[in-house]
Amino acid sequence: MKQRLVRLALSLSVVLTISLAAAQSGSELRFCLRAEPKTLNPVLMADEPSETVRYLTGGVLMRLNRLTQQLEPELATSWKVSENGKTISFKLRQNVRFSDGTPFSAEDVAYTMQQLMDPDLHSPTGDAFRSGEGKVITQITGKNHMTVTFPAPVVGLDKLFDQVAIMSAKSPEKEMAVLGPYYVAENKAGSYLILKRNPNYWKHDSSGRQLPHIESVRLDIQQNRDMEMLRLVRGEIDFVNSLDAEYFDKLAAQAPNMATDAGVSLDSEQMWFNQVASSPLPAYKKAWFTSTNFRRAISEAINREDLARVVFRGHARPAVSWVSPANKFWFNAKLQPHPYDQKSALQALAQDGFHMQDGALHDRDGHLVEFSVITNAGNKYRERMATMIQQDLSGIGIRLNVVTLDFPSLIERITRSFDYEACLLGLVNNDLDPNSQMNVWLSSAENHQWNPSQKTPATTWEAEIDTLMRAQASTLDMKKRKHAIDRVQEIVWQQEPFIYLVNKNAMSAVSAAVHNAHPVALTPQVFWNIDQLTLGTEVARNR
Amino acid sequence: MRRFARHAARILIILLLGGFLGATLVRLAPGFGTDEEELDSRLNQQSIQALRQSHTNDGSLGQFYLHYLTRLLHGDLGTSKTLQQPVTRLLAERFPETLKSVGMGLALGWSLGLALAIVAVMSRSWFIDLFTSLAAGALLCVPAAVLALLFVIAQAPGRLVLGLVVFPKIFRYARNLLARSASLPHVLTARAKGLGGFRVLLWHILPVAAPQLLALAGVSVSLAFAASIPVEVLCDLPGIGQLAWKAAMGRDLQLLVSLTMVVTAVTLVANSASDLVGRSLREGAA
Repeated sequence: MKQRLVRLALSLSVVLTISLAAAQSGSELRFCLRAEPKTLNPVLMADEPSETVRYLTGGVLMRLNRLTQQLEPELATSWKVSENGKTISFKLRQNVRFSDGTPFSAEDVAYTMQQLMDPDLHSPTGDAFRSGEGKVITQITGKNHMTVTFPAPVVGLDKLFDQVAIMSAKSPEKEMAVLGPYYVAENKAGSYLILKRNPNYWKHDSSGRQLPHIESVRLDIQQNRDMEMLRLVRGEIDFVNSLDAEYFDKLAAQAPNMATDAGVSLDSEQMWFNQVASSPLPAYKKAWFTSTNFRRAISEAINREDLARVVFRGHARPAVSWVSPANKFWFNAKLQPHPYDQKSALQALAQDGFHMQDGALHDRDGHLVEFSVITNAGNKYRERMATMIQQDLSGIGIRLNVVTLDFPSLIERITRSFDYEACLLGLVNNDLDPNSQMNVWLSSAENHQWNPSQKTPATTWEAEIDTLMRAQASTLDMKKRKHAIDRVQEIVWQQEPFIYLVNKNAMSAVSAAVHNAHPVALTPQVFWNIDQLTLGTEVARNR
Repeated sequence: MRRFARHAARILIILLLGGFLGATLVRLAPGFGTDEEELDSRLNQQSIQALRQSHTNDGSLGQFYLHYLTRLLHGDLGTSKTLQQPVTRLLAERFPETLKSVGMGLALGWSLGLALAIVAVMSRSWFIDLFTSLAAGALLCVPAAVLALLFVIAQAPGRLVLGLVVFPKIFRYARNLLARSASLPHVLTARAKGLGGFRVLLWHILPVAAPQLLALAGVSVSLAFAASIPVEVLCDLPGIGQLAWKAAMGRDLQLLVSLTMVVTAVTLVANSASDLVGRSLREGAA
């Protein structure tokens, strides 16, 4: 009888273990993308949803650990950057296969680099490697050794490989054959993507079990953030990667264990004035916007503390310059946010001949100081910020009109027609190295938004920024680079071509069913360690 | 046959005009030819120029539409800019979803609307009439998007929203129509002679109202299709309504023109079919 009971107990435990394993292996992690991925070709990816897919599917030579901010070996077991910063040599991992079974070799790395640097493809990832004219040479130096040589030194060269998903040179599935933890199994355009576990993924956990733990990932395309939140609360999705302050507070009140504020992020919110000489603005307004005193006065008249406290409910901090304090190495710690000081603002304006008349500010020629700020419709935080700035500026007699436009119209105005006076927008920054913002700071660049594509720098301080940015891009001496970037931050802080308002915090929400999640400030906040995540059995019950 | 040919010709002309107007609206919309990617700080000068160039490759509006029609004759509707997939594939994937939603919505809206209209007219009770009219009036005041949101919160099937959008219109129109038919002299005579309510309805009221109710059928199809846009977007139903929204947001010319033509075609075919059947019924009755 006793033996029977033991046998029964053993059989039950085996059945239980098998069913638990089955439940785990049949697990599906679900979360939302806020737009359709524009492409599944890793070389051409530039938008956030596509980059999410690339992070989940792409195998990279090395990966930036989002927690430690250090590079870790992946498909390259070791690497070395030459002293001149032009060449990087890799030792590649052996016995690795793509998701379709095609063996991985140095040829695949060479093919990927060739695709990435193809001038006709205009790859945003490839553009980050482009530091000079000339060809990129890849050389296979041994069975698992290879070098990549660039025509000019590339600053932060090794870190750039975090974005390079290796493609197969031979696979009939082309870019759909991947080396990352998952592969795209189904793509219902505009609706959802299903990613399945890569059966040939090379990574194993300490007990020798193949990673990732989770069988599949479902990415639902959901633009509406209210819906995304509702689905999280209902248990239909497992996490929200980037949470807004309002939802964060609601969730923190209901389920404090789910909400995480990882502190200040790399993202910033800023406002700028149109300084384009050929814009259709009246000459007197152009004169206002190109005046440093005017911009400085506007900056001092804005209460950044209030913006952070009211609009972002304390989950943001007043911004200083274009490098976020989250970027510990590159941030210029000597700089402080401009204080809210309306008296000082009025003094700065008085230097340019502005004066108060019947409670309203007028310029030297008697024009009423009134302008409009455009921002993207539907972003309630920017709309609220614009309203608060409107109130702040009314304190120094300036009338501000808030205009919300849909994104395509806004882009048209700031990049083509230049028919706008001021713009309030944010910058999503994924890269720690400030060199990635070269195309914003060079006066000749298209993304030098306040006055793009200048033939020669319009001001002496823009000329100085050009020189400093080029200098930091041509040296691998980190001290020199840091010095140059610090000085650029200082100039931007003084001249305020962009009036930096706040740096938002990186907030996320993770269901208790997701184990091993450690949200961080760098993207992708929640799933940066996707292959380590596991799902609890409560997920199966919910679905 | 001639009538059918005339209808077909009219549909074709309106379809071509509808497509052209759709293309014109998109081309003239602010922000056409722009891309969020242009603000990517990683992109260099050449890449941004190439990106801009890629959005202006369609030529002038006339050229675009001519090319579009030429391709259309070969069964090619082009490729969606926002979803990077052939438009024919997208339509094939999503049209059945919308047909399902619209079909269910119409079935619900018509059965509910017609049933309540019959009850309101045949019962001749002021209370039922007031109650049904109030219910229909209230639903008429609530926008489809609000209804969809309520359904999402209540975790109810989103497809049913279309039924509630169609219902008040069917009810009000059918109720008025049936009430008017019920007050015709021959119906009053039939009632006076003691004919049962069901028979009066079936033999004397419905046949008189049928042609106009059929005309309403065509209108209700366009109504349901129009409501499918907010409903599918909010309830996350992967149909052509959701596709139209995405296409409009992304200024996706190829996709929007094709969607305009598809929706115009469905509306015209539904209206023409109800018109043709209605006429046949009227001629038969005469």
